[in-house]
Amino acid sequence: MTSQTTTLADYRRRESANRLGLWLFILSDAFMFGGLYVSRFYLLGTDTRPEVSQILGFVVTVVLLASSFFMNRAETAMAHGDQKAFLRGTLITLVLGVIFLFGVVGVEWQVVPFGPGDGAAASLFYTMTGWHAFHVLTGVIFLAVVYNNGRKGMYTAERHWAVEASAVYWHFIDVVWIFFYPALYLIGKPLL
Amino acid sequence: MMDEKMMDEKKQEAFRLGVSVIILLGALTIGEYWLGALASLWWAPILGVALLKAFFVVRDYMHLPRLFAGEETHE
Repeated sequence: MTSQTTTLADYRRRESANRLGLWLFILSDAFMFGGLYVSRFYLLGTDTRPEVSQILGFVVTVVLLASSFFMNRAETAMAHGDQKAFLRGTLITLVLGVIFLFGVVGVEWQVVPFGPGDGAAASLFYTMTGWHAFHVLTGVIFLAVVYNNGRKGMYTAERHWAVEASAVYWHFIDVVWIFFYPALYLIGKPLL
Repeated sequence: MMDEKMMDEKKQEAFRLGVSVIILLGALTIGEYWLGALASLWWAPILGVALLKAFFVVRDYMHLPRLFAGEETHE
């Protein structure tokens, strides 16, 4: 009993250190996204934006926000020992992430009337959406690993750091898009 | 039995918070879309909405306060 308690206390200490590490990683990654964000306004100002489909932008944004909701639900379920709801929430998040990826890379990139070689602003559009999509892809892989481990019963209400980490990472991807979406799809008149 | 009931209540409370946040995010996103479609040069209010959305996600979904709570658990 004592050994079990000590182990859990150790786990909490490690979890606390891991949490700090994850947030430092997120902060460092945010600087990269911040640089791209500032470049968008440097190149296009607030009067113009890339000629993109606002409806499609809205749809993929809703999909990503919904995925965050289900990820939150999955994490909450695991924190309360509800394995079934955790697996369901993670799987829905994963599917929504793939739909988002398809919407941006598979549809938006195909329908925009400019290519990555059509000037700095066009290139920046592809860099911003591409770099973000890459993070979504890594998030989807992370979720797939967590889902698979969850199916094997590797997490409990007390010990599920990987679930929390994948959730925080996923929400970070969502936060980045919360800023990219208005910058690319809403602010300014279409220019490119 | 009592513990289970309390745990269930806490879970339902956490689920309810998640639902409240997504409703708020949805409403703000629709507002942001109309603002962008009708007055795309009003960049400050549009960015203000983005900041508000990010605030709720960071606080309620990413649980930033946990970072400062030391070794506390997931409440």
